[in-house]
Amino acid sequence: MAERGAVQLTGVHAISALGRGAEAQLAGVLAATPAFAPVGRFDTGPRRVDAAATLPDVGRLPDELAEAVEVACADAGLNAAGRAGAALLLAVHGGVGVPELATGLARRTGLGGGTRAYTTACVSATSAVAAGAALLARGDRDAVVVAAGYLVEPDQYALFDTGRALATDGAVRPFSAGRTGLLLGDGVAAVVLQRARSARDPVADLLGWGRTGDAFHPCQPEPSGRGLARAARAALDRAGLPPEAVGYVNANATGTAGSDASEAAALGAVFGAAGVPVSSTKAVHGHALEASGLLELVVTVQVLRHGKLPVNAGWRGPDPHCPVDVILDAPRPAATRYALTLNAAFGGANTALLVGAA
Amino acid sequence: MSGGPPVRAEASWPEPGDGAPPPVPGFVHSDFSPLVAAVAERCLSRAYGQRPAPDGGRTAVVLVTADGDRDSAAHVRRTVAAGGRPGPLFFFQSVPNSVAGHVAARWGLGGPVVCLAPTGDPRRDGAAEADLLLHDGDADAVLLVLIEQAPDDGGARDRARAVAVLLGGGDRP
Repeated sequence: MAERGAVQLTGVHAISALGRGAEAQLAGVLAATPAFAPVGRFDTGPRRVDAAATLPDVGRLPDELAEAVEVACADAGLNAAGRAGAALLLAVHGGVGVPELATGLARRTGLGGGTRAYTTACVSATSAVAAGAALLARGDRDAVVVAAGYLVEPDQYALFDTGRALATDGAVRPFSAGRTGLLLGDGVAAVVLQRARSARDPVADLLGWGRTGDAFHPCQPEPSGRGLARAARAALDRAGLPPEAVGYVNANATGTAGSDASEAAALGAVFGAAGVPVSSTKAVHGHALEASGLLELVVTVQVLRHGKLPVNAGWRGPDPHCPVDVILDAPRPAATRYALTLNAAFGGANTALLVGAA
Repeated sequence: MSGGPPVRAEASWPEPGDGAPPPVPGFVHSDFSPLVAAVAERCLSRAYGQRPAPDGGRTAVVLVTADGDRDSAAHVRRTVAAGGRPGPLFFFQSVPNSVAGHVAARWGLGGPVVCLAPTGDPRRDGAAEADLLLHDGDADAVLLVLIEQAPDDGGARDRARAVAVLLGGGDRP
């Protein structure tokens, strides 16, 4: 088990349809204006749905990843010598060329401490963060850079469309009555993790992490949310914190009927009747798939630094299957310095990351 | 990594006498997922005899593949480029998590599900990830599956091969 505060986030960066940079993500989620629009990047004529959250003038994925790593390293003050010993953990959609993308990114950005590529669908990035924290806690490295990217493209868009996973009303409504599904969004992010002894000016503490599997179904979440609840409890245990210490949960909630209900059950199991303030910022920046967890970690860290919790956009009314304390109407002041960010993926994969304001 | 976690069982597909792996309901077009399911089944059967794994509640599934399901990805790419609509089963088949979750559900493996694209030797990368999971404490055993599907050059049979290794768990030395 990691000692408390042993791992710190020292540099963060993200881009999405909300804009470029960590501050743009914070401003976007606090404004709570969804970034979804008709897709101009490729032809959606054969598809049922025509909406996504894309960033205009976005570059190629390798270039955006390199830029994200550069900015995060600069934010952390990680110099060339520090980079030479830092590992790169990359999270992207799997397929031909991924190992070359990872090694090329490491070479381009001077990260010489080993490279791994995570292709674990929508928990790729958070799995990489947990692995990076474990590497630091074990003493294998002094610094780890986690980078993740997904830019909305025609193949995954078509698959989500044919799988009837995309919202048919142009909006993502997490935990809400009348929700019809998710919408995809661009996301590229990078964070620097360092051992506390070597970190000079932390952005936040990474206090806990947990990874579990549902052992239930290839692509459906287990309805009682027990796997996600185990992940959240593992993160709390690792941090040595009780559930009531957590003041905010950035939920995985995609706006999908079964998945949101399963997550609500998990939140109920962990936080009980007292509840915890919850929102899913996918309602404004969309679902960035393999990069979603890193984008949402950056959002969560920024929220803690700023002390205001973003609303759950797209809300139409309560769903009896989702009895959670959803943040509505206006940002809420943060009551504690700790927050949890949850993610889940096909295969029953669940992750939880617990961060604390530095 | 010195020594690494103990190997409890190991299997390959194909082994002598093997043909195509059995089909898996819900997975179509490609032998990638059936091969993962078949090699995992063989490895776990050698370890446990029958389903479910009695001590699988914290067993992770780590799936290592450099190129993933080439055949399914190529089919989707061609279909989309032609303005068509891929079959709905390709939606979940497009990520390796799904077949990893199939194996986990079948055997009751409740540890983390992790998919990696190796940047070095696949077995070494996978074993290093398994070792880290065991050390970090989110898992007490790991089913490591290595699979590659060679490019379709138009004639070769048995283009895909897989190895599964059950690491850790059981009686520790």
